[in-house]
Amino acid sequence: MNLSDSTLDHLRRVVALPDLSGTRYELECEIGRGGMGVVYAARDRVLDRRVALKVLDFTPAGEAQLIAALEHPAIVPVYEAGTLPDGREFYAMKLIRGARLDHYVAGQPTLAERLRLIWRVGEALAYAHSHGIIHRDLKPQNVMVGEFGEVYLMDWGVNAIAGTPAFRAPEVLLDQRSDIYALGALLRFLLPEPNPPALGAIADKAMSADPAARYPEVPAVLADMERFEQGLAIEAWPEPLWHRLRRFASRNALLLWLLAAYTFAKFLIFFLRKF
Amino acid sequence: MNAEFYGRGYTMNKIGVGLLFGLILGAFDGATAWFYPEARPMLTSIMIGSSIKGMIVGLFSGWFARKVQSTAWGIVVGSALALLFAFLVAAMDATKGKPHYLEIMLPGFVVGAIIGFLTQRIGTRDLANRRTL
Amino acid sequence: MDADTAIGGHGDHFPSTHLSLLEATTSGLSSEALDRVITIYWKPVYRFIRLKFHKNNEDAKDLTQGFFATALERDFFTRFDPEKASFRTYLRMAVERFAANQHAAANRQKRGGDTEFETVGEQAVPADSPEQVFEREWQRQLFCLALDDLRAHSEECGKQLQFRIFQAYDLAEGERPSYAELADQHGVPESSVTNYLAWARRMLRGFVTERIRGTTAGRRELRDEMRRV
Repeated sequence: MNLSDSTLDHLRRVVALPDLSGTRYELECEIGRGGMGVVYAARDRVLDRRVALKVLDFTPAGEAQLIAALEHPAIVPVYEAGTLPDGREFYAMKLIRGARLDHYVAGQPTLAERLRLIWRVGEALAYAHSHGIIHRDLKPQNVMVGEFGEVYLMDWGVNAIAGTPAFRAPEVLLDQRSDIYALGALLRFLLPEPNPPALGAIADKAMSADPAARYPEVPAVLADMERFEQGLAIEAWPEPLWHRLRRFASRNALLLWLLAAYTFAKFLIFFLRKF
Repeated sequence: MNAEFYGRGYTMNKIGVGLLFGLILGAFDGATAWFYPEARPMLTSIMIGSSIKGMIVGLFSGWFARKVQSTAWGIVVGSALALLFAFLVAAMDATKGKPHYLEIMLPGFVVGAIIGFLTQRIGTRDLANRRTL
Repeated sequence: MDADTAIGGHGDHFPSTHLSLLEATTSGLSSEALDRVITIYWKPVYRFIRLKFHKNNEDAKDLTQGFFATALERDFFTRFDPEKASFRTYLRMAVERFAANQHAAANRQKRGGDTEFETVGEQAVPADSPEQVFEREWQRQLFCLALDDLRAHSEECGKQLQFRIFQAYDLAEGERPSYAELADQHGVPESSVTNYLAWARRMLRGFVTERIRGTTAGRRELRDEMRRV
């Protein structure tokens, strides 16, 4: 028997398709390939809605239960976990309509919007860490921005073996600090080219090669970012004096103007009186 | 601005703020009379008078700031009150000799504006002076 | 176990196909392992040698035979470290070493006039690298064998109709008939066509998995290789 190239490709594709007979789902199309398997769009016949079906190459130990235990607006809710007739595990989750972060930035969002995105990712990460779950593969391809600007963090708990090196921390054993590294890398990815040095400093600190030199936890990163937004000094950056003065001046502009007006008035009167 | 000012964790209420800054700024404004030799002999009483003026303006501004939250209006109220009191002082002073309306009212006006601004921005609206944790 | 999901023996040849490669070699079945490897890898190695070392048909065949006969000594399998690369890559590199040695050692004369070029199965696009061709042939061979397994299985279970429908659709060259047409041609309802195809594909997947399992050294490699397929 000789298989032509086209037939071979066709067979390869159909053999990979999940057989959904006996489940409540109807396969629609492939959406993408994540770290652990392929994601398809499907229709839930019972509830009459579209869902995303992630078919796993292998069975991770209780991963679906871990993720399903997380309830957070930025974490995709898991509806169901099950086994296909061919033995592969799958889980059904909310279908996200939106754009991946690496595509979203092509639309040149404002700095404020970029910070908002990082903020949402950070919140989700902090929440997960507080439940003992590490993402391990955080990168722009795993962040989705929905139609209304909602932010979702996907593909949790994959061991980033073949992951994008730019977002993977240098240490071998990944833990919460590696997620912080990735968060820093994500921030750096989002920063536009002429970027405020303070934000660059935050990203750099989060991406220190030595895990102990990074922020100890995600809320610390967010706190520094908040300080930046409020015009306060941030932990990550020992700013030069003139910059500190500029910042002080911009925060207290009105007061400085009033004082200047007072001084000016005094001088004016003084010299008027003289002449 | 609140947290930065009271680094040791003590937050004043707005009336307290008004009184405090009214005193300080009023005293300072009064002290600048030193640059006018003719006023120097009366420096002390000028400073006292100016401080009291400042504290009264501060009291009213602080009270106003508890009721209305608006930096702009705070400045307006502070300036208006200070102008009024400055006018009264200048009028009293004018009976004694040469009128110094401009020297008293113009700076006084700006000082009032500053007091109004500060009472809006700093301090809590309840009456308690509290220690923050 | 339901007859549909049981994977029966593929004849007498490989009763131990469910064992991974490493398990087979350590349990003293290395000739089994060798046979398994040859069945899947003969053609890919042959095509690879032809392309990479620009050999004609005869020379390539000789080299392939030589490789499988001599280069695959007993410790070939034990030296394999699944952490470093897949078995497929390991084998390919061994082929390269072998052929390079032969090339350097022997002073081969090209056999005059006897340059028979294989036309059947000559499907590789010239632009592909030899490594890509190797992988492609491996995939092709895997599926061919799995299809044979499927055919044999359907005959054993009396599901020849299912297999025929599968053949008519998924193995069709060019334009595929519609489900409705198939239903008409074979006298079954259209929903059955969907079911039969699903069954056949599921079984095929199982057979491909088993074939790959026979030449990998464990679950992780199996998973990675399944992805490559």
